[in-house]
Amino acid sequence: MANGHPSFLALLFPPPALGSYRTLKMESDEPDGHSLSRRAEWCDVTPLPQDDGPNPVVPIAYKEEFRETMDYFRAIYQADERSPRAFRLTRQAIVANPGNYTVWHFRRLLLQTLNVDLYEELDFLQQIANSNSKNYQLWHHRRWVVERLGIDARAKELQLTKKILSLDAKNYHAWSHRQWVLQALGGWEDELDYCQQLLEEDIFNNSAWNQRYFVITRSPFLGGLKAMRESEVRYTVEAILAKPENESPWRYLRGLYKDNIEVWVNDPQISLVCLKVMNAKSNYVFALSMLLDLLCHGFQPSEEFRDAVDALWTSDNHPLDSDLAKAVCCILEHVDSLRASYWRWRKCKLPLAA
Amino acid sequence: MATRGWYPTDSDVEEEDEDETSSPSPSALPSPSSPLPYFDRDRHVAFLEMMYNLIPHYYQSQEINRLTLAFFTISGLHLLQALDRVDKDRVANWVLSFQAHPQSKAELKNGQFYGFHGSRTSQFPPDENGLSPYNAGHLASTYCALAILKTVGYNLLTIDKESILISMRNLQQPDGSFMPLHVGAETDLRFVYCAAAVCFMLEDWSGMDREKAKEYILNCQSYDGGFGLSPGSESHGGGTYCAVASLRLMGYIEDDLLSKNASSSIINVPLLLDWSMQRQATDGGFQGRANKASDTCYAFWIGAVLRILGGYKFIDKIALRSFLLTCQSEFGGFSKYPEMQPDIYHSYYGCTAFSLLEEPGLNPLCAELGMTDLAALGII
Repeated sequence: MANGHPSFLALLFPPPALGSYRTLKMESDEPDGHSLSRRAEWCDVTPLPQDDGPNPVVPIAYKEEFRETMDYFRAIYQADERSPRAFRLTRQAIVANPGNYTVWHFRRLLLQTLNVDLYEELDFLQQIANSNSKNYQLWHHRRWVVERLGIDARAKELQLTKKILSLDAKNYHAWSHRQWVLQALGGWEDELDYCQQLLEEDIFNNSAWNQRYFVITRSPFLGGLKAMRESEVRYTVEAILAKPENESPWRYLRGLYKDNIEVWVNDPQISLVCLKVMNAKSNYVFALSMLLDLLCHGFQPSEEFRDAVDALWTSDNHPLDSDLAKAVCCILEHVDSLRASYWRWRKCKLPLAA
Repeated sequence: MATRGWYPTDSDVEEEDEDETSSPSPSALPSPSSPLPYFDRDRHVAFLEMMYNLIPHYYQSQEINRLTLAFFTISGLHLLQALDRVDKDRVANWVLSFQAHPQSKAELKNGQFYGFHGSRTSQFPPDENGLSPYNAGHLASTYCALAILKTVGYNLLTIDKESILISMRNLQQPDGSFMPLHVGAETDLRFVYCAAAVCFMLEDWSGMDREKAKEYILNCQSYDGGFGLSPGSESHGGGTYCAVASLRLMGYIEDDLLSKNASSSIINVPLLLDWSMQRQATDGGFQGRANKASDTCYAFWIGAVLRILGGYKFIDKIALRSFLLTCQSEFGGFSKYPEMQPDIYHSYYGCTAFSLLEEPGLNPLCAELGMTDLAALGII
């Protein structure tokens, strides 16, 4: 529930909604100088203190600056003052309290009433994006602005998310925003290339694999999963053979046959990649796991598979099971010992598939 | 404290929050200075009790989520069998003061959500006309409020649940997802979960269209078996918890699915199980997504998923415990990663994780609601 979590919700989530624990950092801070109560501009406003009630629980030891900012915010919010100074105050309140959805909401009302140039608003968000790239409210606000700008804002959004992802290639919010932009405003043409580039930089980047799946299944330029399957299988097999210990391409490979299990079981490329990895005798856990799943779904192995599995078993005293699926489970129990209980259960549940 | 606490604006925190962007090192876990080899219950009680009495200033940016912080603190103390540190009546009254009340039944049709505010930030008394135009009832805060009330033994039958449930329907979107606030906010699985938990605790499903919510959840299952926070998103520990716990609460999946005929389930259970099991990393901890670092809280998010499915027994408990102890702070509480400063959120989920591990001296956990079984069942 925090950051990528919800509070959960984080969330979290994780749980439910918790913004970043950090205060917003401005990359180009305005010189704030004097506190609000000492500024002539605000002399006509009576700040509205927080009414914490008689017996508050979990009181927070607010710093004076924070308290003051929020007292003035409450005053203008209750008065519903839609003025330039109110607009400036929301910026200050956002800096103090970037998760505060009430402030962001009021800022949106001000943007409308004051008819602020929304491209300027995007610039404001850009300034604070890097240090606050995991703040739900910021991303939601950005989406709200972009919805009003429409397709003209598309390039900027794809550029911004690319920039954020260049600093953190797995930022969940950035990926979510990027997916929304593509679906709402288009721009799919270069997305597969972008995924390719990210995977070249880090073949273990599961977010990039996920985005690849998103593109091949939803891009209006690519013809859908079945049409893309063959070329994607080739790409994925190559990735697997390069780093067989990488979970992502194995999951992706299976995903290419979503809702087509029969085709997956009977496609020789699938069983072949398992065989190749097993024969290399290194980082073969996922290969064994996939072979197990294939067998559970009715795959008929040739003798080569039996030989490959036998070759991975080093104990002389304890012979492997004659049933190939059971034998695979035995090996997994030993080489993937963190999940030994799971593999034992899989063995006794055969032929229950994954 | 001998050393200064954690300041959110520190640059090292910036680094800490940036999960590794390249492949995780396959090597063994880093050796900490000297982690305690046992769960330090008394120190966690002290940490949470301190927060109950006063939260340090560096949480002020979390002001808007005050009720959530209260939930972590109070439910955490309950897990640690230390609820005696809490003044239950005071807590109940305080929580109830956050409830948004309509002036009349007619107001329930005005589109606002009459749940609970998350904080005092924008809670004003009704104006001279008796109206509350600033109502910002929040779905997550409502979940936290009800969870706290149950924890302190407050009888939920006495609250105005009708207003909550009728107005909650305003928050459900055409695709089945939920917005947390009527004025607009992001919609994703977190708030579907909150809605389901609220209905479950109020024992009344009129607050949501369960079928639509179920459809949204199913659309969130990724090609790899886990669930993303929204359709198309990468499968994620938090998203998966929200999906599975919601389906369980709504009654669409049975308890302990793995012991039953899983092939009749509406979700791909074997694939989900395999994905979930793979989230335990070589350092013993749980990661939220494939190829990412282990983080304390996923011991709950993923652990609870496995518990609901009936697969918790498969994990390597010794390895998990060992990882969690490296995240246990000498000041009490838990941090996200080993050897960092603790925070309230990870402290709570660290405790829930130890409860799932059946650590002696902790109250059992209700996995679907994320709080003690006793509170969930109304036994105080």
